[in-house]
Amino acid sequence: MTIISLSHIDKSFGPVRIVKDLNLTIEDQEFLVFLGPSGCGKTTTMRMVAGLEHPTMGDVAFDGQRMNEVPTQRRDVAMVFQNYGLYPHMSVAQNIAYPLKLRGIALGERDKLVAKAADRVELGPFLKRMPRELSGGQRQRVALARSIVRTPRVFLMDEPLSNLDAKLRVVARAQIKHLAEDLKVTTIYVTHDQVEAMTLAHRVAVMQDGVIRQLGAPEDIYNDPADSFVAGFIGSPAMNLLPVQAQVSGLLAEGGLQIRLNAPRPGALLLGARAEDMRLGSLDDAHLQADVFTFEMLGESTMATVMVGQTLIAVKAPKDLRLRSGARIGIHFDPQRLYWFDAASGARIRD
Amino acid sequence: MTAGFHPDAAPGYTPSATERSVHWVRQLAVIVLISAILLPIAWIFLTAFKTPRDVYSISSALWFTPTLENLQTVFREPWNLGNKIFNSFAVAGGTVLLAMPMATMAAYAFSRFDFRFKQSIFLVVIASQFIPAAVVVLPYFLMFKEAGMLDTRTALVLVNLSIVLPYAVWMIKGFIDAVPMEIEESAVVDGASRARVIWEIVVPTALPGIITAAVFSFTLTWNEFLFALIIGKQHALTLPIGLIGFRTERGDLWELMAAGGVLITAPMFLISLLVQKQFVGSLTAGSVR
Amino acid sequence: MKRHRAHARSCAPDTASLRKPSVSLLRRIPAQWLLLTPALLFVAAMAVFPLVYSFVLSFREWRLAKSVTPQGWVGLQNYWYLLTDDPDFLEAIQVTSVFVVANVLVTLLVSLGAALLLNKAGRINTIARVLLILPFVMSPALVGISFRFFLNGEYGIVHHLIGLAIPSMVDTIWLADKTLAMVAVVAADVWHWAPYMTLVMLGGLASVPKETEEAARVDGASAWAVFRDVTLPQLLPVISIVLVLKTVFALKAFDIIYTLSNGGPGRSTQTLAYFVYETAFNYYDMGYAAAAAYILTAVLLVASGFYLRLVFRK
Repeated sequence: MTIISLSHIDKSFGPVRIVKDLNLTIEDQEFLVFLGPSGCGKTTTMRMVAGLEHPTMGDVAFDGQRMNEVPTQRRDVAMVFQNYGLYPHMSVAQNIAYPLKLRGIALGERDKLVAKAADRVELGPFLKRMPRELSGGQRQRVALARSIVRTPRVFLMDEPLSNLDAKLRVVARAQIKHLAEDLKVTTIYVTHDQVEAMTLAHRVAVMQDGVIRQLGAPEDIYNDPADSFVAGFIGSPAMNLLPVQAQVSGLLAEGGLQIRLNAPRPGALLLGARAEDMRLGSLDDAHLQADVFTFEMLGESTMATVMVGQTLIAVKAPKDLRLRSGARIGIHFDPQRLYWFDAASGARIRD
Repeated sequence: MTAGFHPDAAPGYTPSATERSVHWVRQLAVIVLISAILLPIAWIFLTAFKTPRDVYSISSALWFTPTLENLQTVFREPWNLGNKIFNSFAVAGGTVLLAMPMATMAAYAFSRFDFRFKQSIFLVVIASQFIPAAVVVLPYFLMFKEAGMLDTRTALVLVNLSIVLPYAVWMIKGFIDAVPMEIEESAVVDGASRARVIWEIVVPTALPGIITAAVFSFTLTWNEFLFALIIGKQHALTLPIGLIGFRTERGDLWELMAAGGVLITAPMFLISLLVQKQFVGSLTAGSVR
Repeated sequence: MKRHRAHARSCAPDTASLRKPSVSLLRRIPAQWLLLTPALLFVAAMAVFPLVYSFVLSFREWRLAKSVTPQGWVGLQNYWYLLTDDPDFLEAIQVTSVFVVANVLVTLLVSLGAALLLNKAGRINTIARVLLILPFVMSPALVGISFRFFLNGEYGIVHHLIGLAIPSMVDTIWLADKTLAMVAVVAADVWHWAPYMTLVMLGGLASVPKETEEAARVDGASAWAVFRDVTLPQLLPVISIVLVLKTVFALKAFDIIYTLSNGGPGRSTQTLAYFVYETAFNYYDMGYAAAAAYILTAVLLVASGFYLRLVFRK
């Protein structure tokens, strides 16, 4: 049972403020993902939970007990590093056994636990090998095994899938999800890949520039983004964000294009709409008319992209459709699935 | 290692008493280390500016009236350090000027080409740095004696070249290895001959390494003692030999020796501080990496 | 660490240009030999040749005082006499062993300790790291002279300071005592080399991935356990390099001993290198000196063999 609380966490490296007044409570057995671009402070925050960095200000607490002064080795956390951090001079078995060895667990008992952990990640036949003899995926599993060989209070994972190739990543993702559910341990997972966040998390904390932009379940982040950054970061393809001037008569986009939609308020706005929420239809009653910029076949669907001013707008279309570059098309928005943001601040405008 | 903390850290983290005392012990140890390095050097520098009376008495260790007398004396008869400084520069400069082209060409060949016996030949060149001076000093002495070249700067240059080449080749090879082949291939595609590639592309890119090797070689030659002792007699005397000239039957003239020490060391300190970062890496390249 | 190899083509002569009317000789010789020749010739002349010459000389008798040319062939007699009948030589071997072992051990401990000490950020540490190169670029001859000065019985600063700290040593003349002279010589050589080796160790420490140390901490290791189980094993390559390199340099050491103690008192700091020098240039017994030199070379070859194997394992 471990609840992690971060209160007013601030972290600076010299003059650079990396994490800015961060407040967050992670529930027991929750799988929380820190999602954001490089440099947003997600890894730093997690390392503060581990004790590898000390907050400049603020408190880290496990179950209400302040952990700032507690050194890493006594926090009873487990961590999978981005480059795995395997001990190169020890075999796979010795790597996995190391946390047990440090706790003085007897050899026989150790071997049993190591075998169990290794089997869980399907490393059984590799126990005698050295890390340098293993592939990337295998090394990652050694790191995983080492972290589950004892039952820590907290699991920490720092972009564990980023060094794997795409196919392996899908498999490993499923393994991690399965493992986390099995072990019922509070987990913090750091990534810049929104697909990982969406598939693995109970809740996602989207971070940018040291601040949490939005905290919520994946579907809430997806369907109800708090600002334009979150909206544009989540989803593949990313949400279309079109700068427009809202006028009485409709919307004026760059390049003089008229869009026949009504905005909740006048002024400079960002119109957000997901590619799958739009459709191609007749030109006459289209909200927006434009020429095809590129047309892509994705297999299960196709995607038509048009250029409005400087912005590319993508629309998903049926997989059998074919279009030529330059063809004039009519784009229909779904009025129920429009997102409005203030152009200057990015804040979401809710009506 | 975690980012260092200061005992008076921000409220987010207060180091424990043990951590704080460890920190201060470490600081103290580092200061001891720095003193161990600097004090001997400082002492020699101080001594160079003392009168003989101050040198030979402990009581005026730190409080004394400085004098430039020593620095002037060493340039006069019979010490003639000026002459020896010239010799040292000439020999070291000559050695470096000859060694760098030779070493660079050889390093390039070892780095870029594959040919029979390459490994063995490379090993022989590198291994020659392990030959004790004692074993070759005899043949050198006799060789130069035969050729009537004893007591000449040329002889010293030749000797120092043989000392310096293995190091230089090894260092420069390391740097040339780090120059990507793509750069050379681009040049060849653009139409450059191999000579031009080496001279206009590779050398400028590997220049930091060549400079490091040059400085290292200069240092080795400048400080070289045994061969200078054996080969020099009257005309081709270098600074290190000049230093022991202050050991007379009457006694050691420490203040003059110190002055000589300052002259011989100051240039080395200056140069080394400039290129210190690359000094180390090159000598153990390949192993530490 | 060989990453770039030239194409085999470049080893073959440029036949196209051979068909042109006047083509320079240079074009026909494979480039690598052109490049290598100056350095190779030089190494052959100035390193290999003297080695061979010395080797041959070691089988002859040659007292320079008596004759300007080598005298006669004595076969292995020089070696035999050295190894079985010459107490001075045997003493030199003993002295060398003590010198090398003490030197290497102290240097290793000091440089490893200093490297661990200086491996943190901080202004004082940065200053210290910059200063580390200085003792190395000081002429060993000067180092020897300086230490001799510092240990002088009347006005030597080190002698004085130690006399203050250890009253019983106020009157000892360092360089007149066999043990203390050895201590002085080792200390001087350590002062000269250890800072440089510290830089090497620092390089080694930098190449240990931080993640392995952090993972150990997360796994529950104390600072000492991290060092013992994770850092030190990964440092072993560098430590071996320092060990072997220092052994080689200690075996070769001459300048410091010559200027500090002159091999004395008696012969108590006379290493093999010094012995060779003395035999050749004080006693002018050339053949004999050559034999002694070769025994030293043999030892050095073994040591350097280790070094080369370590470095070229890649």
